[in-house]
Amino acid sequence: MNHKRKKINRIKVILSASVAVLLVLIALFASVIAPNDPYETCASAIRTAPSAEFLFGTDNLGRCVFSRVLYGARTTIAATFILVAISFILGSFIGVLSGYYGGILDEITMRIADIMLAFPQMVVAIAVAGILGGGLTSAMIALGITMWTGFARLARSHTFAIKNCPYVQAARLAGKSGSAIMMAHILPNIIAPLLTNALTQIGTTMIGISGLSFLGLGVVPPTAEWGSMINESRAYIQIAPWAVLYPAIATIVTIIVFNYLGDCVMEYRDED
Amino acid sequence: MDTILKINNLSAGYGEECVISDISFDVEAGKKVCIVGESGSGKTTLLKAIHGFGGVTKISGSIEIGKDVLLGVVPQNPGGSFNPIRTYKAQICEALKSNNIDFKIEEVEKTLQILGLSDARRALSSRPYELSGGMNQRMAIATTMLLEPGILLCDEVTSALDVKTAGMVVEQLLEINRLRNTTILMVTHHLGIASKMADFIGIMKSGRMLEYGPAKEILNNPQNEYTRNLLKAVPKLKVS
Amino acid sequence: MPDSDIVLAGKNLNKCYVDKGKKLQALKDVSFFLKKGEILGIVGESGSGKSTLLRHISCLEKPDSGTLLYKGTEYTGKPPAFAGTFLQMIFQDAQMSFDPRMKMKKAVVEASNGCSREKLSHILEAVGLDEGLLEKKAGNMSGGQCQRMSIARALCSDARILLCDEVTSALDVTTQAQVVALIRQLQENEGLSIIFVSHDLALVSMLCDRIMVMKNGECVEEGETSKVLGNPQHEYTKELLDNLIE
Repeated sequence: MNHKRKKINRIKVILSASVAVLLVLIALFASVIAPNDPYETCASAIRTAPSAEFLFGTDNLGRCVFSRVLYGARTTIAATFILVAISFILGSFIGVLSGYYGGILDEITMRIADIMLAFPQMVVAIAVAGILGGGLTSAMIALGITMWTGFARLARSHTFAIKNCPYVQAARLAGKSGSAIMMAHILPNIIAPLLTNALTQIGTTMIGISGLSFLGLGVVPPTAEWGSMINESRAYIQIAPWAVLYPAIATIVTIIVFNYLGDCVMEYRDED
Repeated sequence: MDTILKINNLSAGYGEECVISDISFDVEAGKKVCIVGESGSGKTTLLKAIHGFGGVTKISGSIEIGKDVLLGVVPQNPGGSFNPIRTYKAQICEALKSNNIDFKIEEVEKTLQILGLSDARRALSSRPYELSGGMNQRMAIATTMLLEPGILLCDEVTSALDVKTAGMVVEQLLEINRLRNTTILMVTHHLGIASKMADFIGIMKSGRMLEYGPAKEILNNPQNEYTRNLLKAVPKLKVS
Repeated sequence: MPDSDIVLAGKNLNKCYVDKGKKLQALKDVSFFLKKGEILGIVGESGSGKSTLLRHISCLEKPDSGTLLYKGTEYTGKPPAFAGTFLQMIFQDAQMSFDPRMKMKKAVVEASNGCSREKLSHILEAVGLDEGLLEKKAGNMSGGQCQRMSIARALCSDARILLCDEVTSALDVTTQAQVVALIRQLQENEGLSIIFVSHDLALVSMLCDRIMVMKNGECVEEGETSKVLGNPQHEYTKELLDNLIE
């Protein structure tokens, strides 16, 4: 019975992973797939309904929504991946260090993490992005400022559990330095749960970036980004609903796919 | 003597996987039986097959339990079988009520006293997390004993305990057997405990019962090669 | 007894842990010595401080006060890497003594600062393990095999002192007998000095030359095994003997 469930879980992981990879590929090859230039305005084709030429219709400036959604995928997904990767590396690094050495270092980083956790992520992000001014980079900084804490906490607690294992102590007695032990014995053994956590963070981060852009604190127009596209087009949603609908659908689908992938991987790992 | 438990050619396991095979032995009422084996010998599976909890499925053979005989099960780790933050009194009363047993709290206290918990009232008003492993183990045995089972099934009850406490728990199990004539079937890896308390000993290895018989015969005149090795391997106090 | 025979000694070791405002005196004025080539047994129940003592001897933890001496030279407060040059520890949890992701070969050689091929195979022979096991990971080996391998790892370093922390209590009786025989053989043939911590009085009585009884972080009795067990002076030792199940 258990065996069967494991098999089902594996299929789930493979399926959701392939959909996720497909999305990433679309983002990567946006310039090849896109039928039109996403930034080319066309005065004669303003707010045209979806047709063979403009699959998702055009927006207020006559730009092809389909091409913009594809290019937006590139912006959103790339920004998310970079942000998650940086927070993951930085947070895990800090977490492993403070978990292994403990003491004052641990005390300080964990108090900072506590403070960060006390506020909802989006509230902090809006405040920070507001201070830094618009732009994709400041939106990423604004989100990253709270995101690393999650990784740090997770890495710290796993390190804590492992550092008293006999094999770590044996390595200490064998004369291994702290950094060598962390690299050779601790990190490889905790990397799996950390990566799983990173995977589940992708969805939330995507919401964050699109959300900030929607509020005008992220990507600056005319750059194609789903959140800012929705924001630009919502004024004329009754005349050209497609200009809002398609980027919204793209956002939702992508978030669901990555969240589902994260959940599946987590479930699959828990089975062992 | 009445046979209270009769096991015939029993094969059992988890799902389709057979863990123990072709096990037969009888237990007479009021006797103390120890099943000894090393890890992976299938002794816990045998116990689970008898009490029916723990997902063990019977493949063939039979287990006959005497008429109206209640089974009492004492787990290895009592911590997991109590709610750590409710008082023992509340938990024990609940267990008894749900079994529709009329009881007086004095009786509960008396049972606890047999188990060496002299200040029974205080023990009852404490919570599992406040007590030591040995105390918790005794409370688990006491709770089981209140149901007045005909057979007490014990799974490695002493292996999580300190030497001193383990000795006491064994003493108290013997006391219960003496006072109430409760049959005890204990599974252990500790030959010392078996030799101290058992009337009958069974030796298990790789899912099979190698030897079963009166304790004296098994210990003094083992027929099986493995049993001899096992006996030889037990450390003996050397005072010269 | 001449002092030169003493390879390892501790004097008046104290350690106090503070947990949520509660103080726990884990070591109370503990002193001990280990002579060259002998096996010192430390017995006590859980919480008696015997494992804590080993962790202090191996510098994995620092005592609040007291001194540790190796061949008369103080090494209190040195890093574990320093203690690792003359002593090695064998742990109770044999399986977890090895990085679950590492092959034995890497784990053993890593610990030994480049142990030669011949030395390694000689040691494996001494502990009774097949060289094929070097390609395995801890999860695929039995508890007894792991414990032998961790002894092999300790031998690969040049340490002449072994600290054994309940090394057999997680093992089956028959496996225990084999590991104990191995430890004895190492003491006799290789002249290793060994501290053997255990809660099993009978086991200690068979194996050890001298014995130390610990309770609540204190050493209550110490002396030659036959004297301590044959004529126990302290109440607690008597109690332990009385409750022994053989």
